[in-house]
Amino acid sequence: MEKLYIHPLTVRLWHWTNAFGFLLLIATGLQIRYLDLIHLIPFRTAVVWHNWIGFVLIANFFVWLGYYLFSDKIKVYHPELSPTKYFQASFRQMQFYGYGIFRGEPNPHHPNAYKKFNALQSMLYQIIMMLLVPIMFFTGLLMWDVGRFSSIVEMLGGVRVVDTVHVLLFIVFCGFIIVHVYLASLGHTPSAHFKAMITGYEEVEDEPKQNAAP
Amino acid sequence: MKSSRATSKLILAGMLAIVLSSIGLTAHAADGEMSKESKACLSCHDKDGMTKTLESGEALSLAISTKAYTESMHKKTDCEDCHSNLDSKTHGKAKTAIKSKREFALGMRESCRDCHKKKAVEYDDSVHAALIKAGSKKAPLCTDCHNPHTVRSAKVVGPIAETPCAKCHEAIFKAYSKDVHGLERVAKGISAPLCAGCHQAHAVKAASMGEGVKDACLACHKEAVTQHKDWLPNTALHFEAISCPVCHAPDAQRRVNLRLYDSTAKRQVAEKTGVPRFEKRTDTADAKDMGLDERALWSLLKEFNQDGGDGKMLLRGRLEVRSGVEAHQLSEKSKAIKDCNTCHQQGAAAFQSVSLTIAGPDGRPLRHGVQNEVLNSLTSMESVRGFYAIGSTRIKLLDYLLVLVLLGAISVPLVHMTIKRLFKGVREKLEAERLAAAHDSGKQASTGHRHDADDASK
Repeated sequence: MEKLYIHPLTVRLWHWTNAFGFLLLIATGLQIRYLDLIHLIPFRTAVVWHNWIGFVLIANFFVWLGYYLFSDKIKVYHPELSPTKYFQASFRQMQFYGYGIFRGEPNPHHPNAYKKFNALQSMLYQIIMMLLVPIMFFTGLLMWDVGRFSSIVEMLGGVRVVDTVHVLLFIVFCGFIIVHVYLASLGHTPSAHFKAMITGYEEVEDEPKQNAAP
Repeated sequence: MKSSRATSKLILAGMLAIVLSSIGLTAHAADGEMSKESKACLSCHDKDGMTKTLESGEALSLAISTKAYTESMHKKTDCEDCHSNLDSKTHGKAKTAIKSKREFALGMRESCRDCHKKKAVEYDDSVHAALIKAGSKKAPLCTDCHNPHTVRSAKVVGPIAETPCAKCHEAIFKAYSKDVHGLERVAKGISAPLCAGCHQAHAVKAASMGEGVKDACLACHKEAVTQHKDWLPNTALHFEAISCPVCHAPDAQRRVNLRLYDSTAKRQVAEKTGVPRFEKRTDTADAKDMGLDERALWSLLKEFNQDGGDGKMLLRGRLEVRSGVEAHQLSEKSKAIKDCNTCHQQGAAAFQSVSLTIAGPDGRPLRHGVQNEVLNSLTSMESVRGFYAIGSTRIKLLDYLLVLVLLGAISVPLVHMTIKRLFKGVREKLEAERLAAAHDSGKQASTGHRHDADDASK
């Protein structure tokens, strides 16, 4: 079993801050939205925490963005700039999760430091990080002080529209986190990928037939 | 004989007054000293119980107390300045027909305007003047609030019971006299506001239209915004969307009031526009005995925006107390509502009553009930886009979507794990076959090696 260093410290710090931050945002968000059903913390406390955690995660997002923009590791998102190969690899990956994995077939993706994501991950993470997360933060920022940003809020169709977009993304992220955690347990052992995200080292079998990161 | 002499003197005095005023030398006495002419008037009129029976049967008091008059704000004004229509030759002799007190007050209004030009302009723009134009027989004229012969400075603090507004707005005044402002007015005098302090004396507008009353609150409570910022997230939005009594009259019933808002001019539409459109919708709703639904709101807005000027109209909601009486039940600061749960949860009482308000022809609000479901509907996102309260107006469809996505997301691992378990046998069989194949190929390879070695040795 070979150990490959594929999760740099900055990325690991960003990832776990983001993970715990998102869980707290979901918890406080549920408390804010469902005050009649959930009674964990007072509404005002939930709002204040939600705002502060939001700002921490916005700053954290720029850590992630800065790291990838200013290091050669940005290649992990586009190991090969070939759309054909990209879609073929995505299809193979879907085939693996939907069929091959049940038959014990090897994961078609073989990770290394510059190719740590399979094609599906790469596509999904880019949509999330470059589109959904920024929209989530932006709508959150607008609602943090609707008065201050009233002209932008109005331009976007009003506070009801901004809130609906925020809540729709919240629903998407709730679903994503559950599936993300499950797929992370599909390593060669259920805890392999979790350990890798803590230590930075992914265990890869010498023979290229090991499951990849989710 | 004596009476004829007195009459001659009066005639003379009247003539003299006309002559003097025509050459610009009015007979005003200096520093409160009453003119001879006025003294002459009061010599007859300073009699208790002096009345005139009008055509309506009402008794118009003609009695004027010299003492009260000389202490009044009009002490430098001569009787004739206002009563210039009286003919000294016939006054007191011939009967002048006056229909009613109201008719008399309407006529005398012009005398007030001669001097109080600025106040008259303000009054003309008021809801009171609009009501008179609309034919109201009750809306106040100058003399309904100000007795011209006893009028005191606004700075003089009289008993609050003498406040003229109380005559018409009795229930509201009763509530006011028991609330924090009324009690303080009695205890401390002018430091606490009376009606005109918030509603203005002459430019009175319907309190639920515009932002006038809130501005009046903030004019005295200058520190209010800063103090709220200390604990209230999104203070600016709360101040915009909630009227002060909603929290500061804690026992009041609340409602959501949807108001037409001009998004270009950034203000509530206070002009008397769209009344026929509004009535068309409300008549339809009334026929069904229901509140306006989201379709009615949407089509009303659409009509407004089709032929309604440059600005884009939208509906903005505001939390208000349900009645004027409740708006005057303000409590001490310590009793004000600070609990977010009052509004920010589904089923909150304030959101069970929704109304739509537009400015009516007389400047007063025209209201109609709205079905409260519009606040929680995805399809009313455009029509009530200007109003959203976290929790209480959340869109129900999104709640169902959340449950659906969570169930879907949880079922992904469950289904996947189940299939994986079901395929365990297949996997083991395939693995065994793979191992066997690998073993065979290994065997063949090693046999091949041996044969090669044998061949080589041979």
